Amino acid sequence: MKRTLILAASALALAVPGVYVAADDALPKVESPPPVRISPSQYQQSVADIFGTSIKVTGRFEPEVRDEGLMALGGRKVSITDTGLERYDDLARTVAAQVIDAKHRAALIPCTPQNVKAADDACTRAFVTSIGRLVYRRALTDAEISRKVKAAGDAANTLHDFYAGISAVVADMLISPNFLFRQRDIEPDPAHAGSMRLTGYAKATTLASFLWNTAPDDLLLKAAESGDIHTKDGLKRQVDRMVSAGSMEGGVRAFFSDMLGFSDFETLSKDPNFFPRYTLKVRDQSEEQTLRTIVDHVVKRQGDYRDLYTTPNTFLTRSLAALYNVPLVELVDNGQPERWIPYSYQPGDPRAGILAQASFVALHSPSGRTSPTGRGKALRENILCQAVPPPPGNVDFKFVQDTSNPVYKTTRDRLTAHRSEAMCAGCHKITDPIGLALENFDSAGGYRTEENGAKIDTSGDLSGVKFDGPVGLAKVLHDDPALTSCVAKRVFSYGAGRAPLPGEAEFALVQKKFTDSKYNVLELMRQVAMSDALYILPAPKTP
Amino acid sequence: MNLKRMLRPSSSVLAAGALVASAIAAAPAHAETRGYVVSWFATATYSQDFKNNCPQNKNGGRYGNSVKALMTIGYTEEEAVKIMATQDALLGPEYMKKIESRARVNGKPASIYNYPEAVADPMIELSSGKYAFGFDLGSKNNDAKFEDPETHLKVDNQLWRAVGCVESFKAVAPDIPYFEDLTWHLMIDSAPAWAFQVTGDDLSKDGKVTVTFDKTVQHLMRDASGNVMTNATYVIDPSPRSHNVFQGEIKDGELRINSGNLYLEGELPYYTEISLANTHMRIKQESDGKLLGYWGGYTDWKKFVYMYTARGGINGEDVVGMYHALKKLADYNPDPKSGQNQMISTAYRMEATTVYLATTDGKIIAKPGSLPAPAAEKVADK
Amino acid sequence: MTPTSLMTRRRALKGMMAGSAVTVGLPILDCMLNESGNAFAATGAPIPLRFATWFWALGLGEAEYRPKTAGTDYELPPQLAPLKPFQKKMNLFSGGEVFLDGQSNNTHFTGVQGHMTGRVSGGSEYYGSVDALVGDVIGNGTRFRSIEVACDGDPRDSWSARTSSGRQPAEVSPLALYTRIFGPEFKDPNAAEFTPDPQIMVRRSVLSGVSEERQDLMRNLGATDRARLDNYFTSLRSLEQKLDIQLQKPEPLPACTKPKQPEKEEKQALNIATEAMARHNQFAELLAHALACGQTRVANLCITQGMSGLRREGDPTNHHTYTHEEPVDPVLGYQVKSAWFTALYMQALHDYAAVLDGIQEGEKTLLDRMILYAYTDHGAPRLHSLRNYPFVLLGSANGRMKTGMHIPKPGDAATRVGLTVQQIMGVPVSAWGVGSNRVTSPISEVMA
Repeated sequence: MKRTLILAASALALAVPGVYVAADDALPKVESPPPVRISPSQYQQSVADIFGTSIKVTGRFEPEVRDEGLMALGGRKVSITDTGLERYDDLARTVAAQVIDAKHRAALIPCTPQNVKAADDACTRAFVTSIGRLVYRRALTDAEISRKVKAAGDAANTLHDFYAGISAVVADMLISPNFLFRQRDIEPDPAHAGSMRLTGYAKATTLASFLWNTAPDDLLLKAAESGDIHTKDGLKRQVDRMVSAGSMEGGVRAFFSDMLGFSDFETLSKDPNFFPRYTLKVRDQSEEQTLRTIVDHVVKRQGDYRDLYTTPNTFLTRSLAALYNVPLVELVDNGQPERWIPYSYQPGDPRAGILAQASFVALHSPSGRTSPTGRGKALRENILCQAVPPPPGNVDFKFVQDTSNPVYKTTRDRLTAHRSEAMCAGCHKITDPIGLALENFDSAGGYRTEENGAKIDTSGDLSGVKFDGPVGLAKVLHDDPALTSCVAKRVFSYGAGRAPLPGEAEFALVQKKFTDSKYNVLELMRQVAMSDALYILPAPKTP
Repeated sequence: MNLKRMLRPSSSVLAAGALVASAIAAAPAHAETRGYVVSWFATATYSQDFKNNCPQNKNGGRYGNSVKALMTIGYTEEEAVKIMATQDALLGPEYMKKIESRARVNGKPASIYNYPEAVADPMIELSSGKYAFGFDLGSKNNDAKFEDPETHLKVDNQLWRAVGCVESFKAVAPDIPYFEDLTWHLMIDSAPAWAFQVTGDDLSKDGKVTVTFDKTVQHLMRDASGNVMTNATYVIDPSPRSHNVFQGEIKDGELRINSGNLYLEGELPYYTEISLANTHMRIKQESDGKLLGYWGGYTDWKKFVYMYTARGGINGEDVVGMYHALKKLADYNPDPKSGQNQMISTAYRMEATTVYLATTDGKIIAKPGSLPAPAAEKVADK
Repeated sequence: MTPTSLMTRRRALKGMMAGSAVTVGLPILDCMLNESGNAFAATGAPIPLRFATWFWALGLGEAEYRPKTAGTDYELPPQLAPLKPFQKKMNLFSGGEVFLDGQSNNTHFTGVQGHMTGRVSGGSEYYGSVDALVGDVIGNGTRFRSIEVACDGDPRDSWSARTSSGRQPAEVSPLALYTRIFGPEFKDPNAAEFTPDPQIMVRRSVLSGVSEERQDLMRNLGATDRARLDNYFTSLRSLEQKLDIQLQKPEPLPACTKPKQPEKEEKQALNIATEAMARHNQFAELLAHALACGQTRVANLCITQGMSGLRREGDPTNHHTYTHEEPVDPVLGYQVKSAWFTALYMQALHDYAAVLDGIQEGEKTLLDRMILYAYTDHGAPRLHSLRNYPFVLLGSANGRMKTGMHIPKPGDAATRVGLTVQQIMGVPVSAWGVGSNRVTSPISEVMA
């Protein structure tokens, strides 16, 4: 099939970027959707699933890029720079060296060579065939297998070490674009004349990435190989199996980490002089706190998505509890690592809900003082899917005086002065009133009621609804329809690898099912996973 | 041992504890309790004026003590200096063995640490300065008293007289004497913390308070600056061994305790325990909400020697000299038979950080908060 | 070195490798430079040009910095005072502007996009920065096409982008950079012995297997995605080239010494300005040695991103916020707190130049053999202005650039500085930039 399509290659130069349609003399042609560079967490999870969790992935990745609100969408636009490839090469060799070390070789290599100091093509072939299918997310072609067996053999003979050959070929597979990019190959869709669909392998890959944040397992690949995955029932069987499996937790974590911008934690730091309770441990724990809260609410309780913003239930460690200034009784003996302890806030506590957690209020604050504008912008963009325009080029900041100005004691005072400028008012009025409601949380997420000796006013408004403080904000947010439509849009984009098109029926269906499920995020993910939008590329409209 | 029994809260203190516990239960609903952990602790030194304290300056540091130690096993000073030139910072084992076993018991070599009485008193220099931190514990010997550099009141602190001219105790707060510092900062990440609660009807103003000391089951938690983290939660060790209840008063923003026994079990080599008789305390709140203050009273001088010996060894520290100095200066609780005082007056400096305190059943019994602040004009006292 | 000779040597080594590892002994020559010091005596190859870029955030503050006179013997403005020792070895270009041509000013980004890539767009496209264009000409044949570092711990702080693959991530750890350059894979160019590493031979031959997968992958892809995959393969070729170079005996470089290994950093992200400057100086040391040791010819350093989050210790407000919020001191005429940061950055630039100038290569210093190109994101940061950009260029590119001058070009396209530098460094380009930012002639005053 692929062979007939390649004929059209000469016409491709004319293709418009981002549109799946290219003109051809003979017939309109559908192009494959963009390959997606796998994320650092998918890399790690794939290695853990393929080679085992005892293989350490140490090293750095190329930074991710956000597009239309998600790193997952950025992945379809980025390539790999030469510095980036150097990093992937380092990572690949670190993993490959562990695969063949004394601790792992017996478990991971299905045979023992006749002579450990020389090539053993038969054994290499067995290894490459089985591991290659998992790494490339599809069966390798005979030519690919032969090529790798030969490369491993040459390496083994040069270095007089069979396992060095295996290591070389593992490293080779791990820097291949077949691994580093999720390929989304297509084939004609027998069910819809003229349309194309993802191949079975590409479907399996999409599902594994979307729901489990990893490479497809053997059962998914088998469903692809048997064609089962192309039937409605077959697809449902896989989706149901995946949604109810333990690995779903990893998938939910990966999605929310992406949507909430948690990759920024890597470069987040606070001034220890101002925020001594914000230790590096607390930084890592604050990310984990929110993910635990989400997993508990979304996966374990299958609660209403909106309640995430008001839920009193969370998990704390002693360090985090100190940051939030709440008592947390830990009875485990002295000297044990800190444990996660379920914690519920009293009704009306401003620290309830995930917006009040350090993963939001600290992540979106500079290292020294808060930025209500930054928090408001993050809330609009990450949680409500609303665009906030960038600041204009020629702004006079003369009204924003320094913090020691006796007239403008609080951040609210300073921003109000700034907002009186007509030029600034337009944007700041959509960010600041919601950001100011979170001023009870300092730059590190600590709870406070005063700033520079003045009581903090936390009144605000969101889309015309007035409220007071974090509790009021969470309630208004809870009832804002943008909250649920945004997460539906993000889940859809995350699964489909593209944002929903205006008026797209498949997305409308997903949204309806989400509403019907009382905003159950697992149901949302299930619906998206079943949607044709992920797998079918409609026939191009004839001009 | 009598003394030990006396210091343990076995009978009298325990009874007091029970009494107060019921008193708390019966207290009015609006009684409030603040929680603290001891975040800095050391012998209260006053080395600001070392020259006047120790005009002879003869105790010497590691080098001088090593030379003196060599002379105790028969070398001349000249020879000892020559030997020292061949040694690294520490005296080698070939010398140490002889030095440490030079005591003679029934004509046989014995350890000077086990038999300090069997070695002559080397007469270390004692502090002859005017100042020491602490409290007037009521001793009769007025001539032996110091003056507190802050309160300018009379002070019983004979332990300071003994250690005041020893190099490793030359520390100006917030520095901690060397060996105590080693212990404290190395061990607080694993040793259970000491906590206390201040309970009163209205802690926004001066008045009577109850102060309860306990050991916790958790070690101190550090913050991003390496200090002790504020507002963490600690669970009180339910064992009564280290449970102490005192009646005190906050006056002019200063919390004072003027009697009673204190016993806190420690898991740090230098502070295997803190035990005080006739306990006195004065504690003030700093501007950052931390408490800073002094604890004083009488402690068992032999236990102090034990802690000191366990750390210092002879390299740099004249352990025998310290033994004899403390024995001479001990000023409380004479042995009924020999008349030798078994306890010595002393003082500690401590800082405490606000925390939550809980019992093992998960109940929060104390919260972070503030105490009445000292009047500002007091600072201008000098 | 031509590709042919590279191939020949590789083949030769490959032949020798069939047996056991071989040792190719080459003596260090007593005098490795020719009499004029411009070329290696042994090979006659010219001493290579080097290029370094250096980004600092938020310009020179709100006050006017432009010296009153042009040409030589101008009075250095107070903002640049730390560079006084190098006034004769540098040029100051002032007054340049980035034109928006109707696009929006994406603050702290669009200006750099304009003068570093010649093209302003409303979006975040960023391809083909000046350093990469220069690197395409001078950077071949070294282990690293270029090296990028950022001093505040954010790997995204990088303005270096190949024409194809976009911005390179920055190295944020001095120790990691040291290990990457001077770790086990470093071959001392002045070592008498050279033993090609059989492990690298194997890696090199396995990589060619990866490139054979290209054909299959390209099927069915649209033009954009084909280009993306091609970028991957370009990067793969760079990796192959890096390994090729490690299999050859390097040219001796008398100025090359191995720097001291930095200590392990406690934290990645820094936001105290003085700590970032300390890291800057560690990086400066490593980059200078990497340039002297022929490991790369292009080095790019960013102190921070444009919206600098650096703070003065004990002060919660960062530099970026100060540039907007701090009133101009009515007596002094500038923003006092913001100026503190600028002075710190310029001191760092001085320190970097001093390290480069302290490495002797024949009769000249490493700094003389290169250009250190210092640039910023806004001409006047308080209002996010794209006018009156300062550029400070240190070094003379082996005598190709005249120095010691102030060149005011008020209202001129800032891209002219970029074009000038490309021409000096030997990029065969006569015009550069798009729309109003297009320039067709260099700044002739400095062309030697």
